Amino acid sequence: MGSRVAESKPVLRLDVRDVASVPMTVTIGERSEPAADHPAIFDVDGLNVHYGDFHAVKDVSLQIRKNEITALIGPSGCGKSTVLRCFNRMNDLIEIARVSGSIRYHGVDLYGSEVDPVQVRRHIGMVFQKPNPFPKSIYDNVAFGPKIAGFEGSMDDLVEEALTKAALWDEVKDKLDGSAYALSGGQQQRLCIARAIATSPDVVLMDEPASALDPIATLRIEDLMQGLKEDYSIVIVTHNMQQAARVSDRTAFFTVDMEQTGQRTGVLVEFDETSKIFTNPGETRTEDYITGRFG
Amino acid sequence: MASRSEAIDTAAIVRQSLHGRRFSPGGLAFELSLLVMLLVSLAVLVTLLADIISGALPVFRDRGIDFVTSGITLDSATAGVWTGLVGSVGIAIIVAVIAFPLGLGAAVYLEEYAPDNSLTRFIQTNIRNLAGVPSIVYGLLGLAVFVRLVDLIGLGGSASTGGRNILAAGITLAVLVLPIVIITASEALRAVPDTIREAGFGVGATRWEVVRHHVLPSAAPGVLTGTVLALARAFGETAPLLVIGVATGFFSAGSAGLFDRLTGPYTALPVVVLSWSRQADPAFKENLAPAAILVLLVVLFAANTAAVVLRNRYDRKW
Amino acid sequence: MTELRPHFHDELAQLEGDLVLMGEQATAMIRDSVAALAAGDVAAAAEVIERDDPVDDLYLGVHSRWLETMALQTPVAIDLRLMSVILHVNSHLERIADLAVTVAKITQASNGLPHDPTMVSHLQEMGEIVASMVRAAMEAFAARDLTAALSLPEMDRPVNRLNRNMVREVARLAGDPELLEWGVRMMVVARTLERAGDNAVDVAEQLAFLLTGEFREFTDASHHD
Repeated sequence: MGSRVAESKPVLRLDVRDVASVPMTVTIGERSEPAADHPAIFDVDGLNVHYGDFHAVKDVSLQIRKNEITALIGPSGCGKSTVLRCFNRMNDLIEIARVSGSIRYHGVDLYGSEVDPVQVRRHIGMVFQKPNPFPKSIYDNVAFGPKIAGFEGSMDDLVEEALTKAALWDEVKDKLDGSAYALSGGQQQRLCIARAIATSPDVVLMDEPASALDPIATLRIEDLMQGLKEDYSIVIVTHNMQQAARVSDRTAFFTVDMEQTGQRTGVLVEFDETSKIFTNPGETRTEDYITGRFG
Repeated sequence: MASRSEAIDTAAIVRQSLHGRRFSPGGLAFELSLLVMLLVSLAVLVTLLADIISGALPVFRDRGIDFVTSGITLDSATAGVWTGLVGSVGIAIIVAVIAFPLGLGAAVYLEEYAPDNSLTRFIQTNIRNLAGVPSIVYGLLGLAVFVRLVDLIGLGGSASTGGRNILAAGITLAVLVLPIVIITASEALRAVPDTIREAGFGVGATRWEVVRHHVLPSAAPGVLTGTVLALARAFGETAPLLVIGVATGFFSAGSAGLFDRLTGPYTALPVVVLSWSRQADPAFKENLAPAAILVLLVVLFAANTAAVVLRNRYDRKW
Repeated sequence: MTELRPHFHDELAQLEGDLVLMGEQATAMIRDSVAALAAGDVAAAAEVIERDDPVDDLYLGVHSRWLETMALQTPVAIDLRLMSVILHVNSHLERIADLAVTVAKITQASNGLPHDPTMVSHLQEMGEIVASMVRAAMEAFAARDLTAALSLPEMDRPVNRLNRNMVREVARLAGDPELLEWGVRMMVVARTLERAGDNAVDVAEQLAFLLTGEFREFTDASHHD
C-alpha cells in the first residue's frame, strides 16, 4: 500500500542518461507515467451551469480518471461544488439549475434523455459537507441504499463490509442498532462514507467531507480515502488546499471571473497532476491563489 | 519597583473599567411592565377557571359521575352531558378520519412535489387565508353543500333530520380545520433538514422513497401535534354547528344503533353549554353550564396530553 | 488582488535579504583574500579569516529560521521553490566564504617563500572573475533575471582555463625547491578559487530552477571546457 502510493506520486524524475556528456536534468511536478492505466470515467466537455439568470459555471472541460482522487479547489463561488453535483445529477433537485455541455460517464451522456438520475446516483455515491446520517440506527443507515436498490444477498455481510471499508466497523460492531446520532462527528462522516459505498458505486463524490471535523478526524478521513481509491474513483471538493495536496492525484483549480456584464462566473483555470499544481503550476492565477497572493 | 507599580496601576484601571454597574430605570420599568402583563393574563384565566369550578362544584358534589352519563332532560336535577359528549367525540372522529389524510396529503404535495412557482405560492397563501375565515362561513357552506349532500346520498336519516346530522357536522368541521392541518403539516415537513433529503437522493432513492422512509418519519411528531390541535379546535366549535342544524333542545337518542346515531339528531358539548346558559331555570345557567364546560375542558386536556405522549413516543431522539 | 499571507512573504523576503548580505560579504572576502595573497600581507589574511564568523552566524540564522518557516507555513508552488533555493544558496555562499578562508590560510602558510609574478597575476585575475561571478549571481537572483543567470557558465570558463594552466606554470618552477613549494601551494589556491566559481554557478542554477521550475545543471559533471 505504501509503495503503491509512492509509485503513483513521483515528484522527482531523474533523467540521467550519460553523465559524461549530457547535462543532468531534474524536473519537478511532471510525471512521465502515461495515464493509460487510469482510463477516464468522466469526460466533461464544455460544461455550463446556470441557476436562473446566474451563470454559475462556464465552459469547463476535464477528465476524471479511474482509481484516482481528483480534487476540485478554488475560492468561494468558483463553482467547484456545482461541478461536483453535476456528476451525480444532484443539480436536478434544484429547479432553476440548467446544465449544458456534455458529461460522458464511461462514454454515456449523463444528461441524455434516457438516463434516470436515480440510477445515476446508485452508481455515483455522494458524501456531504456536514455528516448527515439518517435519524435511524447505524445498521439501517448503511442498509437503506442497498435495500431500495433491491439487494438480495446477505445484508448483514454487506453492512459489515461497507463499515469495514469505511474504517468504522471495529468502533460500531457492538452497537449497530444504536442511533447514528450517538456517534462523534468524525464517526458519523465515516458512516456516511459507508452508506455511500454500500450501494457498490463506481465513483464517490465528496463535498468538503472534512470541513466540519476536527483535525484528527480529518486525517482519518484523508487516510481512508487513500485506501478507498483502490476500489473507487473519488472526486473531492475542498476548501483546504493542503488537504487537496495531501490526498489527491490530480487537482482542478477553479476561480471566479467577471463577465463583461459584471456577473461573476466560475471558470476552470488549470487542471493537472497535484504534484505539478503544488510545485510548479502552469498558470499565474493558480500560483497566486495557492501561495496566498490572491484574495 | 517601577514595573511593579505599573502592574498595580494596570490592575486599578482594569478594575475601574470592569466595575460600576449602571442603574437603568428604563430597563427596570420594561421588566416590571412585562411581569404585570403576565400577571394580568394569569389573573383572567384563574378567575375564569375559579368561576367555572365554583359553579360546577355543587353539581359534581351532588350527582358525581351521573352528570356525565345522563342524557339531556328538561329537569335540572337529572340533566347530563352524555348526549353532547357522544356527539362531540363522534364529530371529532369524523374530522380526524377526513382532515388528517387530506391535509397531510396536500401538505406533502405542496412541500415535496409541487414546483416552486407563483401558482404554488398563491395556493399556499390562500390556505393561510382560509385558516382565518370566520367559522360561521364554514357553517353556511356546510348547510348549503354537506347537509344536502348527506341527505342526497341517503344518509340523511329521518325526514325531520334531513341531513342535519353528525355526518354533515363532521364533514363541515373537517373542512374548517383542513387549512390548520395543512399548515402545521407543511411546517413540520419544512422543518425536516434538507440534508436528510440529500442523503436519501444521494444513495439513489426516488422521491417517494425519500418521503416515505425519511421525511415523513422525521415530520411525524409535528404532523401529529398539528392534527391534535386541529381536533381540539373542532371540538370547541359552536357557530357552524348552529347553522347546520344541531339540536339545541331536548331530544331522545334512546338506545339507537351506530347508524341511527350517525344519521339522527345530535348535539355537541359546546352547544349543550350554549343552550343551558339560555334556560329559564337558573340551575342550568349557574351550575349545569359550568359543569358541562368543565367536562369539555377535561376532554381537551386529555386530548392534548395524549398528543404529547404520542409525540414523545414517535420523536425518538436518534 | 490582496496579499493574504503578508507575514509569511515578509519572512521569505527577510531570508532572501540575509542571503544578499552573505553574498556581499563572501564577495569581499574572496577579493580581499586574493589581495592579501598578492601583497603577501599576513595581517590582512588574518582579518579575512576573522570575517568568516559573521558569515557563519548568518548561515546558522537563515537555517534555523528556514526550518521554522517550513514547519509553520507549509509553502507551495513558487514559495516552495524559493524555500528550496534559499536553503541551497545559503550553503553555497557559506562555502564560498570558507574557500576565501582557505586562500587566506595558504597566504599565512606561504609567508616568507619566494613567488612567481606571472602566477600571482593569474591568481589575481581568477580572484577578480570569481568575485564578480558571485556578485553577478546574487544580482541576478535579486532581479530574478534568468538571462543574467545563464551567463554565469560563460564567466566561469576563463577561471577553469586558468586553473588548468596552473599545472604547466608550476612545472616551470621545478628548478627551485622553495619556489616549487610556493607553486604547489598556489595550485591549491587556484583550485580553491575554481571551486568558489563553481559555487557561484550553482547559485545561478538555483535561480534558473526558481524561475522555470526545472532543475538543470548548466555544465556537465566533467567541466571540460
